[in-house]
Amino acid sequence: MSSIGTGYDLSASQFSPDGRVFQVEYAQKAVENSGTAIGIRGKDGVVFGVEKLITSKLYEKGDNKRILNVDRHVGAAFAGLNADARHLVERARDEASSYRHSYGDPIPLRHLTERVAGYVHAHTLYSSVRPFGVSMILGSMEQDGPQMYLIDPSGVSWGYHGCAVGKAKQNAKTEIEKLKIKEIKGWFLGVAARPSRQPHIKVI
Amino acid sequence: MTRRDRRCVITGLLYFNTLSFKKAKNARLEQMGFKFPKAYKTGTTIAGVIYKDGVVLGADTRATEDTVVADKNCAKIHYIADNIYCCGAGTAADTEMTTQLISAQLELHRLATGRAPRVCTANRLLKQMLFRYQGYIGAALVLGGVDATGPNLYSIWPHGSTDKLPYVTMGSGSLAAMATFEDRFKPNMTREEAMKLVRDAIAAGIFNDLGSGSNVDLCVVTKDKVEYVRPHEVANAKGIKQGRYLYKRGTTAVLSSEVKKVEFDIIGTEVKSSVQPMDTQ
Amino acid sequence: MATVNMMTSGFSPAMAVPQMHGMGFEGMDTEVSTGTTIMATEFDGGVIIGADSRTTTGAYIANRVTDKLTKVTDYIYCCRSGSAADTQAVADIVKYHNDFHRMEMGEQPLVKTVAHMFKQLCYDYRDQLTAGIIVAGWDKRNGGQVYSIPISGMLQKMPFCTGGSGSTYIYGFVDSQFKPKMTKEESLQFVSKAVSLAINRDGSSGGIIRLAAISKDGVERFTLTGDQLPKFYEDS
Repeated sequence: MSSIGTGYDLSASQFSPDGRVFQVEYAQKAVENSGTAIGIRGKDGVVFGVEKLITSKLYEKGDNKRILNVDRHVGAAFAGLNADARHLVERARDEASSYRHSYGDPIPLRHLTERVAGYVHAHTLYSSVRPFGVSMILGSMEQDGPQMYLIDPSGVSWGYHGCAVGKAKQNAKTEIEKLKIKEIKGWFLGVAARPSRQPHIKVI
Repeated sequence: MTRRDRRCVITGLLYFNTLSFKKAKNARLEQMGFKFPKAYKTGTTIAGVIYKDGVVLGADTRATEDTVVADKNCAKIHYIADNIYCCGAGTAADTEMTTQLISAQLELHRLATGRAPRVCTANRLLKQMLFRYQGYIGAALVLGGVDATGPNLYSIWPHGSTDKLPYVTMGSGSLAAMATFEDRFKPNMTREEAMKLVRDAIAAGIFNDLGSGSNVDLCVVTKDKVEYVRPHEVANAKGIKQGRYLYKRGTTAVLSSEVKKVEFDIIGTEVKSSVQPMDTQ
Repeated sequence: MATVNMMTSGFSPAMAVPQMHGMGFEGMDTEVSTGTTIMATEFDGGVIIGADSRTTTGAYIANRVTDKLTKVTDYIYCCRSGSAADTQAVADIVKYHNDFHRMEMGEQPLVKTVAHMFKQLCYDYRDQLTAGIIVAGWDKRNGGQVYSIPISGMLQKMPFCTGGSGSTYIYGFVDSQFKPKMTKEESLQFVSKAVSLAINRDGSSGGIIRLAAISKDGVERFTLTGDQLPKFYEDS
């Protein structure tokens, strides 16, 4: 991180001379430090898996979930800062409900992703805000089959058959790439893709 | 106090300046026998047709205030743009202000786009304004003009509904005028045929409708020319008096006459310049 | 624009001149309304919509060749009944919003979505609007569909639907004659007969019959004038 101390990393609204926005890169660092989250899209559904480190026996079971519902047909898994992610999921829920209200139809995931990504991107443009330290995987079951998208802290989004974010994303990706992902049913994929060195992954 | 008034007092709602409050109040005053002043209504005949290469708009020139003819020669064909004109019936002030407002908006639109405005644009602006005012702007309009798409003609009602037709009439004389159109309209008429037809339609209104009268105004809009003929015809020319009704000179007999000299003195004379010197100090 | 034969077709000399008091033309103060017959029906592969062409102010016919079948998208139309000003405004607003929605989504909208937009406006402004609308059209997901939005803004999907003042006269006819999965030709016959019967009994409906067939291939429009109207026992 040779850039630290150059003064170009103090605001999300400033470029460095070589065209980088450091605040966004720091936000991506926050995601890389977090527990892994994976998403796999099969023929008949989407499976999310997250690694959840339980740091104390005193915690209530099932708290601070990292896989959440957005709408009746949309789910989300994320890696990064928990509080940021919960705010983002809340935003996604509002978008989904607003679409349902206006058009009487469940929101297409491609559209929801664009809306949420736009919101994330807006937080990389102003000096008064901080980018989201979150990568969010959105999955849905729609009329034309399952859909899955990933949004990163810069506000960029991609459609995926299988994706992984967080600390062990490389390991997870390597495992996922071994699978014949377009042929096998989603549920088994989720279990099969469990990286052997990550025993904490729970398939929910 | 009506139930609604009471309810509003209880809820503390600011209802006093609303239109519905004023309407309710005025209705109650009217019930008690109070006479409100009436606005000038142009009990009117206006009409328009599309012909081969343009539109012809026509109007009578009578403005009424209840049963009184308030203006015997008013102009009811209003300018909207160089290529668009609009006849107005209904409340005179409303048709005047509405057409002026839309004319101004279209001029700004022309400046912004660098194109001659379209008739359908004028129609949209007018209908959206009239709809916003829910019929309280008493303007019934015949809108016509020529644009990039050719000649266009619309009728626009006070509540904001519009009809796009090859011939339209509006106002209290619209029935008489429409009867003329239904009888004799044909597509692709010549300029002369169209002008004659509109003249006859307006004349039908002038002679058969109490609210319409005086002269016929016409406006012929073509691709690059407008001919605003006012008056096109004085339908009700004042007749020439057949006789003289004044007494002839000498009708009254002079019984006697006397001329007296008046004595007077000149006290003084003074000639003043009417030019005032400029105060330069 | 209307064609020649519409313009020169018979005009009854017995048309009563409305009662006029004083100077004002009483029709001018009453709202322009489409005392109407409108109709839509699903068929195998699309929908048929139909309407009469009469617009009235009081006793005066303000427009005898009105087009009450109003386009919203290339595949979705609405049939308007009630106040002409209200329904034109609502249709314009829905069209405007929908054009944005279509660009944002990058594909043709669902009929359900358009119907929902109409419903939302009709329900939110139910105290101020007099609008009875039928939304009909075709989309990739669900094929031909008909949605009814009666006066206070309810939304209901139906296999076929009638509306406007003329509809009251033809409930018996449509209930007895409608069959699911009719062909396009059968459905066109069904709608033109129904609208024709309504026109014969309802004073506020009349003029010509406008029809449209909407399917995956787009829209086909038809007009039935004077002698082309279906005939019944009393016409022969």
